[in-house]
Amino acid sequence: MAKQTTDQTGFSDVAAGVDAVIPARKQSWLQYYLPSILIFIFAIVTWELFVRLFSIQEFLLPAPSAIYNSLSLNLNQLLKLGWFTTKEALGGFAIGCSLGILVALATARWTIATEALMPFAIAANSVPILAFAPILNNWFGVDNPVSKMAIVAVIVFFPVMINTVRGLTLVDANALELMASYAANQYDVLFRLRVPNALPYIFNALKVAAALSMIGAIVSEYFGGNRSALGVYITQEAAQFRFANAWAAIILACIVGITLYLIVLTVERFAIPWHPSVRGEER
Amino acid sequence: MPPTVSIQNVSKLFNPGQANQVLALKEINLDILPGEFVSIIGPSGCGKSTLLRLIGDLTTPSSGAVLVNGKPAHQARLDQDYGMVFQAATLYEWRTVSKNVQLPLELKGIAKTERENRAKEMLALVELAGFENHHPWQLSGGMQQRVAIARALVTGPQLLLMDEPFGALDEMTRERMNQELHHIWEQTNKTAVFITHSIAEAVFLSTRVVVMSVRPGRITQVIDIDLPRHRDVTTREMTRYFELVNQGREALRRAEAGL
Ligand SMILES: Nc1ncnc2c1ncn2[C@@H]1O[C@H](COP(=O)(O)OP(=O)(O)OP(=O)(O)O)[C@@H](O)[C@H]1O
Ligand SMILES: [Mg+2]
Repeated sequence: MAKQTTDQTGFSDVAAGVDAVIPARKQSWLQYYLPSILIFIFAIVTWELFVRLFSIQEFLLPAPSAIYNSLSLNLNQLLKLGWFTTKEALGGFAIGCSLGILVALATARWTIATEALMPFAIAANSVPILAFAPILNNWFGVDNPVSKMAIVAVIVFFPVMINTVRGLTLVDANALELMASYAANQYDVLFRLRVPNALPYIFNALKVAAALSMIGAIVSEYFGGNRSALGVYITQEAAQFRFANAWAAIILACIVGITLYLIVLTVERFAIPWHPSVRGEER
Repeated sequence: MPPTVSIQNVSKLFNPGQANQVLALKEINLDILPGEFVSIIGPSGCGKSTLLRLIGDLTTPSSGAVLVNGKPAHQARLDQDYGMVFQAATLYEWRTVSKNVQLPLELKGIAKTERENRAKEMLALVELAGFENHHPWQLSGGMQQRVAIARALVTGPQLLLMDEPFGALDEMTRERMNQELHHIWEQTNKTAVFITHSIAEAVFLSTRVVVMSVRPGRITQVIDIDLPRHRDVTTREMTRYFELVNQGREALRRAEAGL
């Protein structure tokens, strides 16, 4: 009987198969993120159960529900603190990234200088720049957000600069020959070939920089800072054993970091829709 | 009138003095007169692309001289005396098809509307009307190569340098493209240097076919194509056409044997 049915509906099975494929493509957003969402929910539930079942002390690990309570109780204050620190992160991000791109553009103009300076830039990139936080606090004043912006700027400068230089120089030899065959001047080569070629590299660096800038701002606040800063709040609450509050602030910082990253990702999709990394996701 | 291209005793040695030293071209002599259509044919690696790049001043000879329009090749490049079709299509992936074709006009500072019109015209010529706003990755290899041809033609250069432009095309499209290229050459009295692996294509298009041999790359034979200057579908049915194709095949066989 079952066999007969499949025989009879042979054609409609094929049709159903096609139908099944098309709506699946429309739902691909949900399909794509569903596993991540499930894993997230699973992790939160496990965490909560773990803390309750084993009666874990709050100073070791507060339960998600406790963190949520703290978050909703102190939301207004946390948002104010978060905004203060986000402004530091954004300021440093803007200064560091623009300087990184500008310096890279300048060095593309003087190739020999680039080759001489790149080893130093790469070395500087592996220096733990946060170690300078106390010194920069001293230069600009602990309470002054500029000291934090300076640290963030220095942190994001090197990856952005190095990646931009890479994008400006790693150009297809044929593409350069095409320009040469038209006797193109160096500005045309720079702006019509090297810069578009560098954009994917720059966006990769900006994504890294977005995450780094929030980390940099908070950690530099651990070395002392304005009372209305998120990093200062985290250290204070932790020192007074109010760990749920500290965790709530950390969660907020994570959300801000991820948001900054997503903003860069969105700008990237509009700026370089032609790049395989962007157009590949559309399938 | 000076020859459009004059290659005088040119040799090209890559990586001289190193373990991977290659004598890509040895003592090449070739004059190409205005209005000629010269095809270069020969086994892979015999230096065809290198020869074309020497004419375009994209590489320099190790010895000998290359003159274009009576000037050193370098000056001719600065004067933009030629249009080049590379062996790889070399389209910029961030530009649409139309914008790729417009690139040489942009470099010359030509206004937008004229650029767009000329690109449209050239794309129609290579049978790609309607693909203006596509991106290169949305086209097949043969279509990309035709965009590259449109780009080389768009500035209307008197000298065309083409490196296997129809390599990726199916037989029928290739014949139509040959007809179109012949038409352009005949109408505008351009000079063309054309690399191909197809003897039939070389004979159909050319006034002369240069046969090269490998290791070291050198010219082994030059075949005058004494067919009427105008070519069309009937050309491929002429007895003389068959004779010339056979002659070319024989010359290529000898070249591949290194004779
Ligand atoms: N930039 C380079 N550096 C070193 N060797 C090179 C370079 N370019 C070409 N050659 C060598 O010169 C020789 C000729 O190369 P060329 O590209 O001119 O050959 P071709 O006749 O165009 O071959 P094909 O038909 O496969 O395109 C080859 O042996 C190649 O390895
Ligand atoms: Mg070649």
